[in-house]
Amino acid sequence: MKNILDKNGLTGFWRVLFLFLTAAIFLTMFLPMWNVFVVSTSTALDSSQSGIKLWWTTFSVEGFFYVFRVAKMARPFLNSFFITTIGTVIQVLLSALAGYVLIQKSLPFKNFISSFIMLTMMVPGDLTLISVYQLNKQLSLLNTYQGLVLNGLVSGFSIMMMRNYFETVPYSLAESARMDGAGELKIFGSIYIPISLPGFATVFFMEYVARWNSIMLPATLITDEKKYTLPLMLKQMIMSVDSTSGTAATPDNAIMAAIVISTIPLLIIYMFAQRFLMEGINMGAVKG
Amino acid sequence: MKGQLKKKILRYKEIYLLLIPVLIYFLVFSYYPLVLGIIKSFQKVKLLGGFEMVGFHNYKEIFGDRQYRQAFINSLAVGGGTFLLQFVWGLLIAVLLNEIRNKASKSLFQTVTYIPYLLSWSVVGGLWISILSPSGMVNGIMRALLGTGYSPMVFMSEGRYARLIMIFTGAWKGAGYFAALFLAAMVGIDSALYESARMDGATRIKQIRYITLPVIVPTMKVIAVLTVMGILRNFDQIFVMMNASISDKVKNLLVLIYEQGIIQFNVGTATAAATVVLAATLLITSVVRKILKYDEIYS
Repeated sequence: MKNILDKNGLTGFWRVLFLFLTAAIFLTMFLPMWNVFVVSTSTALDSSQSGIKLWWTTFSVEGFFYVFRVAKMARPFLNSFFITTIGTVIQVLLSALAGYVLIQKSLPFKNFISSFIMLTMMVPGDLTLISVYQLNKQLSLLNTYQGLVLNGLVSGFSIMMMRNYFETVPYSLAESARMDGAGELKIFGSIYIPISLPGFATVFFMEYVARWNSIMLPATLITDEKKYTLPLMLKQMIMSVDSTSGTAATPDNAIMAAIVISTIPLLIIYMFAQRFLMEGINMGAVKG
Repeated sequence: MKGQLKKKILRYKEIYLLLIPVLIYFLVFSYYPLVLGIIKSFQKVKLLGGFEMVGFHNYKEIFGDRQYRQAFINSLAVGGGTFLLQFVWGLLIAVLLNEIRNKASKSLFQTVTYIPYLLSWSVVGGLWISILSPSGMVNGIMRALLGTGYSPMVFMSEGRYARLIMIFTGAWKGAGYFAALFLAAMVGIDSALYESARMDGATRIKQIRYITLPVIVPTMKVIAVLTVMGILRNFDQIFVMMNASISDKVKNLLVLIYEQGIIQFNVGTATAAATVVLAATLLITSVVRKILKYDEIYS
């Protein structure tokens, strides 16, 4: 720890202050997460005791068994997994197609198409929540998996990201393929997709995280507990805790285990996709 | 001329076909709800079924409604507070990260500060509700500091702490994200700049003050604009962390609109409120853009 600042030229008071701030911020971010992990792997009895709980009295994975056996977490987990995966794959494909359209030079009505797409970014879906609910009612998509996949299936944001990646591909490549008589889908599939794979990965991971974490849309569309996604089920579990007395319908270690389980897919994604997620940030691409 | 355009369109006909699914999607799922919402905001449900146009009646109603006014104040208080804290916190993380030379420590610090941003509010909300519970970690630390005479606080049901808790947890979740944005701007700084400043005898802290910070001013503006666009749209956090004893202090516009429109079916007033939030967001954003001269940098 004391050597981490070496060679940066900070001395004396400033050096001490920087070390102190680094340690303070690190602990503020890390300890709450560590606490969750320790409680999730403690016994129900230990987890209900008061204390700082940063180390185990007895290590136990009974909380993890509890959430699957008693709280039946497998179903919401699978719901979330399938809806997120299917939705994200379709979204990446559709956004890529639209992004491909937007890089065509001298395409008639291109500006109109761009504005048509950009305008949807100005009007975030969460501000039309009530009419989105009514739309889904009219289409009989309430309480269906299709509804969860279809809503938010395309975003102006991912289209613009894909377009930015495609713009780095030399346009002459596509032109010469077109001269040779290749169709648009062929050009798209054989030239653009291979070159823009990092772009696909970036959009895929960013959208995957956003969908996995989405709360508002499922809370609006779904009332049937069988179709609950993970965040909805977690919310219900947390709310069953009486926050005034601290006595829980579900033991603390099980709630923390549920939190750990719903976090694991994201941590795996982060490990694989750190590079892409940071790249998305560098492109100034931001999800609300 | 006309023939030429037609020829061009024909040449691109395959391209237009590729666009059809996306256009249909936006028409159905973006534009239609927007128009429907605006229409509904001028309507009222009749007792015998059906709707009638009521002009600005719904709008008058929400502006006179104490609940909506309180929700607006709560949105601004929590949103503004979160922005300030998260901004300072994120900037601090970025400056510290920029000074850490050891690669492993740097990557550990960045990962730990960034992870909360990846998690859903169900996770972060659940985490903090548990930590702030009477048997949780915060009360544990207080007891360790103040002795066994300390009686545990029920933080989540104390009205006076409610907004502070929302602000703190909001900033806790988002600081690493701001830090990543700041850091992206910092890594672009030419190291020769620091080198020549050092030659001229500038201390490291002076270099941070006069080289690092000025370079990230444009990023600060981007962050400000983005935050303002989202300030009235914080739903997830409050939806997860609110309970009956603190709802007065923290229930914000979107949560109220959700309760009114989806749970209680007051569609007219709820869509009117949503339309006002939408208009306010567009207005505030364009004002802030003007003030920061945002469009001159990013056109």
